[in-house]
Amino acid sequence: MARPLGSVRLKKANSSTLLLGAVLCIFIIIFLVSPSSPASAGRLSNIVSAQHHLSPPTSPYKSSRSGVQGPPPVTRYDLNKVTVTADPIKNQEHILILTPMARFYQEYWDNLLRLSYPHELITLGFILPKTKEGNQATAALQQQIQKIQNHGAEKDRFKSIIILRQDFDPAVVSQDESERHKLGNQKARREVMAKARNSLLFTTLGPSTSWVLWLDADIVESPPTLIQDLASHDKPVIVANCYQKYYDPETKKMAERPYDFNSWQDSETALKLAEQMGPDDILLEGYAELATYRTLMAYMSNPGSPKDLAVPLDGVGSTALLVKADVHRDGAMFPAFSFYHLIESEGFAKMAKRLGWQPYGLPNYKVYHYNE
Amino acid sequence: MMPRHHSSGFSNGYPRADTFEISPHRFQPRATVPLHKKRKRTAIRIGIVVAIIVLLIFWFGQPKSVASLISLGILSGYEDLKLETVRYYDLTNVQGSARGWEREERILLCVPLRDAEQHLPMFFSHLKNFTYPHSLIDLAFLVSDSKDRTLQVLSDNLEAIQADADPKQPYGEISIIEKDFGQKVNQDVESRHGFAAQASRRKLMAQARNWLLSAALRPYHSWVYWRDVDVETAPFTILEDLMRHNKDVIVPNVWRPLPDWLGGEQPYDLNSWQESETALALADTLDEDAVIVEGYAEYATWRPHLAYLRDPYGDPDMEMEIDGVGGVSILAKAKVFRSGVHFPAFSFEKHAETEGFGKMAKRMRFSVVGLPHYTIWHLYEPSVDDIKHMEEMERERIAREKEEEDRKLKEQQIKEEFGDANSQWEQDKQQMQDLKLQDQGSNKEAGLNQGAAAKAAGAIDGQKAN
Repeated sequence: MARPLGSVRLKKANSSTLLLGAVLCIFIIIFLVSPSSPASAGRLSNIVSAQHHLSPPTSPYKSSRSGVQGPPPVTRYDLNKVTVTADPIKNQEHILILTPMARFYQEYWDNLLRLSYPHELITLGFILPKTKEGNQATAALQQQIQKIQNHGAEKDRFKSIIILRQDFDPAVVSQDESERHKLGNQKARREVMAKARNSLLFTTLGPSTSWVLWLDADIVESPPTLIQDLASHDKPVIVANCYQKYYDPETKKMAERPYDFNSWQDSETALKLAEQMGPDDILLEGYAELATYRTLMAYMSNPGSPKDLAVPLDGVGSTALLVKADVHRDGAMFPAFSFYHLIESEGFAKMAKRLGWQPYGLPNYKVYHYNE
Repeated sequence: MMPRHHSSGFSNGYPRADTFEISPHRFQPRATVPLHKKRKRTAIRIGIVVAIIVLLIFWFGQPKSVASLISLGILSGYEDLKLETVRYYDLTNVQGSARGWEREERILLCVPLRDAEQHLPMFFSHLKNFTYPHSLIDLAFLVSDSKDRTLQVLSDNLEAIQADADPKQPYGEISIIEKDFGQKVNQDVESRHGFAAQASRRKLMAQARNWLLSAALRPYHSWVYWRDVDVETAPFTILEDLMRHNKDVIVPNVWRPLPDWLGGEQPYDLNSWQESETALALADTLDEDAVIVEGYAEYATWRPHLAYLRDPYGDPDMEMEIDGVGGVSILAKAKVFRSGVHFPAFSFEKHAETEGFGKMAKRMRFSVVGLPHYTIWHLYEPSVDDIKHMEEMERERIAREKEEEDRKLKEQQIKEEFGDANSQWEQDKQQMQDLKLQDQGSNKEAGLNQGAAAKAAGAIDGQKAN
């Protein structure tokens, strides 16, 4: 037969099949529209995303693989409108969580994911050394990031994540706790640490950032409301008290002990010691060789006193340190040299004070360090 | 009994006994509308259904998803998938080298601005002429406390550059950052350079620079170039010229042209200097918050200044180690800023802003170098003294011109008064000569005439003597 097949089929179609088709169409369209609309107009897309890879890394960007792009647009950022307030969630303030990382701890990552601050307002920044250990940590970190950003629940995804590899060698090859804390190694180690922190800070601090949270890679436990709690004090620089949980063989129970001794109030003795030092010497805390008699925040903790007690400090540790972005923008950084005989985070506190920003500490608000 | 078969022998009730049949089951098309009409009708039906669906969707909102549907979900769906949230940078790739343009190293060009509308056209003419590949330069401007139209003029000009038809003109990422610091200090030359205002002015300037840098520096930058908007003349190749030296921090010499009556030219930027023993000793005597500023009689530091060492015929590649740097034109490797060196907005080793920057870079063992014979020219803005002097000179000039005018007028008057006398004398002379000629005819009259001529000449001489 010479009849074309198509017209035969068309002929067979009647109104009932058409109706069925229409119903099916509607069904398909509804199916297509409904899941995609909350996703595309969802949490991450609420944030201004740029169109260009040269845009600030604190925001995601839409890349177009579809060929040639024009020159980037002229972008205006009004920093007068970036607020830094005691109620950051209400004011939708963007926060940058910065972590220099030498080893990847799964507990750290899990704790990070538990933070209750809206993840679409959080940018994560990491800096890792280019060593064998650093490569391993990077791989582990990237794997976890992949899991969250590509396959995680929408509310768990972070606004953006920046991974940097540092351009200088680590001072101490071993990251073992005993080796790391030797007094002789301390200056070189903290110099490199300061440089890592500054590299991370000054390349990632974006025009929309309100707060910077320094969270060390070995902090494995913190309250989920860490950011909100620290911000609620509305202090330019505020640090939590860093403790460590350990198994006490005497009581056969888990106990905790102070860990970070870099948060302190200055003493006359320390100032006198500093006066006698050479211009490049630094004063370190927590070593018997250098008795400074400073008032350490680590020992100020008292279960009887209120949890939100804030004390002014002269030196701060950076294990869990919340800083208003304005303080960093004014230039307060982590000196990688002897600044008033202080270095790194302690030097940072001094520099913030020189710029007119007073650091504070929360002796009864604890975060916990990894125990090797 | 019913007959088993029709007479014709067919069972399908086709009573066509009288027709001749070859095939008993001949296909018979149903009596329907023609095919093309049917197609048309179907198309109309489908169209109606689609229209209803689209309307329904529009009715329930979300035109965005409709757009995605119309484009078959390819555009938006694909783009949603490509929302890039993770970025990876290796900082060892952005160290900065002597031939950055070959390695496609990106430069961040930072320009702090305040009430600078009048200087912008000049600045943009410089911007057009840079020979370093524009696509590798990212621009960052900080507009603070401006009362004029700086912001508007700036963004209009930048939009124009980015839309330029010449593919070599558009720049990389361009950020305009607005931040007001509530500065009370005026920007006019006198209050800007007065000694008392210096320390707090420099601290505020430093703060502005730090805000600009911290918001604009990215992990992909190899170099940072600081440039003031009021540079009048600079080589187009300045970025390459400074980069070739491969130093961590490098500055050219900055002079300014002057009117002839002030000597033609003058060193401008006195903030680039080498440290001296005198200055170090002086620094020790000052209190913690004091800021030493160069170029003022109050602090005699006896430092060798880059500016004063200029030789117009010297080798432009000659380098000089310095400790303080001026901020008119600084090229620095981005790693200097990444390691934390910034413009102290407090007294750092008794210095602030760019001088403190130089000090801090030295402190972190970076190389800080100046080029004494490589000169760029700052715009000449007359100071209040200069303006006074210029007014004085203007007055003098006007007075001189008036004097000149008066003198000319007088001469004119004199000429007018005595010009007749001269011509009279000429006439007389002519007449006398004529008479002389006549004399030769009549000797009798000659005696009389000569007497008259002598009389006339005597009268003229008398007048002249008067």
